[in-house]
Amino acid sequence: MYWKYLLKRVLNGIIIYIILIFIYSALFNVVLEQTVYAQIEERVRAETMALSGRNMTPEQILKWSVDRKEYYYRQYRLDRTVFERVLLRAFNTLTFNYGMSSGIKSSSGTRDVRIIVTETIPRTLLLFMTAMVIDVLIGLLLGIKKAQRPGKPLDKTTSIATMVVFGMPSWWLGMLMIMFFAYIVKLFPSGGLHSTPPPEGFAYYIDTLYHLALPVITLVLLGFWGRSYLTRNIVLGVLQEDYIMSARARGIPERKVLYGHGMRTAAPPIVTMALLALLASVSGNIVFEGIFSWPGMGNLYWISVQQNDIPVLMGNLSLTTGLYISGLVILDLVYGFLDPRIKVGGKG
Amino acid sequence: MKFSDAKESLLDFWREFRMVKSGLFGLVLFLLFLAIVIFEPFILPFPDVNKTWRDITYWEENPKGAPPVWINWFSAKKRPLTQVFEDPKNTESEMGNMKMVSTVFEYELQADYSPQDLIFKARASGEPMFIVTLKRPDGEEVTVFQNSINLGNKVTDVRITLNGNGRENAIYFARPYESDENYAVITPKLVKAADVVFSQAKEGIFRNPETLKGTYEIVVQTILRSANDQYMEPRLVVPGKAFGVLGTDALKRDIWSGVLAGVKWALLIGILTAVVSVSIGVIYGVISAYLGGWKDGLMQRIFEIFVSVPLLPVLIVMSAVFKPSIWTLIIMMSCFFWTGSVKTVRSIALQIKEETYIEASKALGANNFRIIFKHMVPLLIPYSFASMALYIPGAIVYEATISLLGLGDATIVTWGQILSDALSSGAVLSGLWWWVVPPGLSIAFMGMAFAFIGFAMDKILHPKLRTR
Repeated sequence: MYWKYLLKRVLNGIIIYIILIFIYSALFNVVLEQTVYAQIEERVRAETMALSGRNMTPEQILKWSVDRKEYYYRQYRLDRTVFERVLLRAFNTLTFNYGMSSGIKSSSGTRDVRIIVTETIPRTLLLFMTAMVIDVLIGLLLGIKKAQRPGKPLDKTTSIATMVVFGMPSWWLGMLMIMFFAYIVKLFPSGGLHSTPPPEGFAYYIDTLYHLALPVITLVLLGFWGRSYLTRNIVLGVLQEDYIMSARARGIPERKVLYGHGMRTAAPPIVTMALLALLASVSGNIVFEGIFSWPGMGNLYWISVQQNDIPVLMGNLSLTTGLYISGLVILDLVYGFLDPRIKVGGKG
Repeated sequence: MKFSDAKESLLDFWREFRMVKSGLFGLVLFLLFLAIVIFEPFILPFPDVNKTWRDITYWEENPKGAPPVWINWFSAKKRPLTQVFEDPKNTESEMGNMKMVSTVFEYELQADYSPQDLIFKARASGEPMFIVTLKRPDGEEVTVFQNSINLGNKVTDVRITLNGNGRENAIYFARPYESDENYAVITPKLVKAADVVFSQAKEGIFRNPETLKGTYEIVVQTILRSANDQYMEPRLVVPGKAFGVLGTDALKRDIWSGVLAGVKWALLIGILTAVVSVSIGVIYGVISAYLGGWKDGLMQRIFEIFVSVPLLPVLIVMSAVFKPSIWTLIIMMSCFFWTGSVKTVRSIALQIKEETYIEASKALGANNFRIIFKHMVPLLIPYSFASMALYIPGAIVYEATISLLGLGDATIVTWGQILSDALSSGAVLSGLWWWVVPPGLSIAFMGMAFAFIGFAMDKILHPKLRTR
């Protein structure tokens, strides 16, 4: 029955994605069309300049440029009704056809928004996944330790630390870390993906790791407290169940009770929590990349906002939404896989 | 629910809350922030900061990028503080048609650094000639400025600064003392006049100047060409190298004032967003659970769409496109924040729905509205307060992030905007920590206050998690 559940979840995700893209298209249609108008204007002006060599009267040139504009309006379907235009834009976005940027170039030099955005995705995933793996590992270990001895000094102090970092912006901590570790102590580079020029061969990966270190440390430093607190609450909740008490009463060693009985129940919510944390981190800390000039999706938001490059902004948003929804679907699938109640039920 | 019931349950809640120390600490912090908001007009060193944060002229008398005053307590080399001289001695002398007024200011320099600048201000009319001379303790004299300024017939402001108008004269004064090889290294265009004229006249005056301590005299001679010309309100400002409680930024603004002015906005953004969004979420969840059936299904589908939105990216794009004011931003945030509480509320409401008293009131003919708002929502109030407290930090951070990207409301001062300015002016690179640390620390502290309160409430509401 699991495949049925899987199919349902995936379809559901796709439908939500389509609806959201449609809403984006309707919401941002006006601004996006302004950029298209500006691009057409620019193109016609360039073509008119090229004409000046030929013998044409000013009236002819004027008429010609008006004709060209009309032609382009037709080509970009700007002469249709608003509804048709929104529908068309949604369709284009769904087929990853984001058009041309108004200035930003990809590392290979094209102005195709799709290439600009897609080349940043792996970098973002590298940064946030590395951070999340370390984060979850530390959080899990610490959380179980906390749950074993609730109310003891370790539990108390780490819980307070959780609350202390609760409202701390990651990018602010990043600024402080750069200030301290890149400019005062000079231990780490201040940002970027690798040094210029990037070294060859194996050293390339070492160099990337070296550049990855400071942002990852910053994210972990803020993240693992919350993760351990949640793990603690989940495990503590499980440890108070009757079957744990009965297992203890039967004289099963505490280690086995915890890892054999307790963790089996606690695993699905913990995995969910970890994945959810990754999603929340990508969606909430994305700007953080800009501080470290890490050339990922977050940095692209930063650049496109500063250069007011609406097509890139929209393309980036659409792909971020797509990734985010896929993450949510994967989350559900994993949860369904781990939790037998959902696997058997199937009807949902 | 009657008023007395509500009061009783609130008192009960308070009795439990009082037992959680961290919650009380959060409450104290929150009250502290509230006190800052209430007494803001009395504690602001620059009372007009709310209106003039982006007005450069308001701040022009402050030093630029100066660290806080208390830095002097920790370092052996003392920095001079800003001094303002008003109502100086004026001596007038007539020279035929012309009149000469000479104004003398005495400046006592005992710090180990030179002051940042000299700013002479006055109001005058006509075409007076100004001669500004600095008499040093070692007997040397530096003519900082000597020129006439055409001001027209109306009385206008005159502003003469040492760094702006006196560089060439300062170099002319100091050049004989400096060795040739040292002078070859420096870039004359980057020389700061104030560093030179307040330094000991010996080799190294350009490269590594040592401050000359003692009493300086700044003499301003003003020659008025006709009897109609006016000259009044002379004033000398000597910006120091340390300023205020938290120093100044690269635009000479007092950071302490900015941070204080940001408190009310952070509180407003946080509390308003949290209250609106949690209220929506609670009501939505209860209605969805209560109605059940296809209505519940539809409401859950709509909820799913909202959950699938990556919040910050959407907020960034919306802010970039629509350029919202702070109020619009709060509405925008509330539009997405409400989803957080729906799931829990719905599951609680599904349980409440099955209670017998709901059935009883249905049998008595109560309508849906009455049941939802009179019998179900009040039971969720404690839960809503806990989640509101935990939403506030998130809302504040989101606003700060939007502001960091330069998309904030430009008519107000928020911590995020101060940090945005710091980042774009390279404060991180040049180590102006007093510009970067305080606003962020304020965000963190406010988040902490509400986190403490929220977690304490959470503990009371979920007794299972309590530690024995």
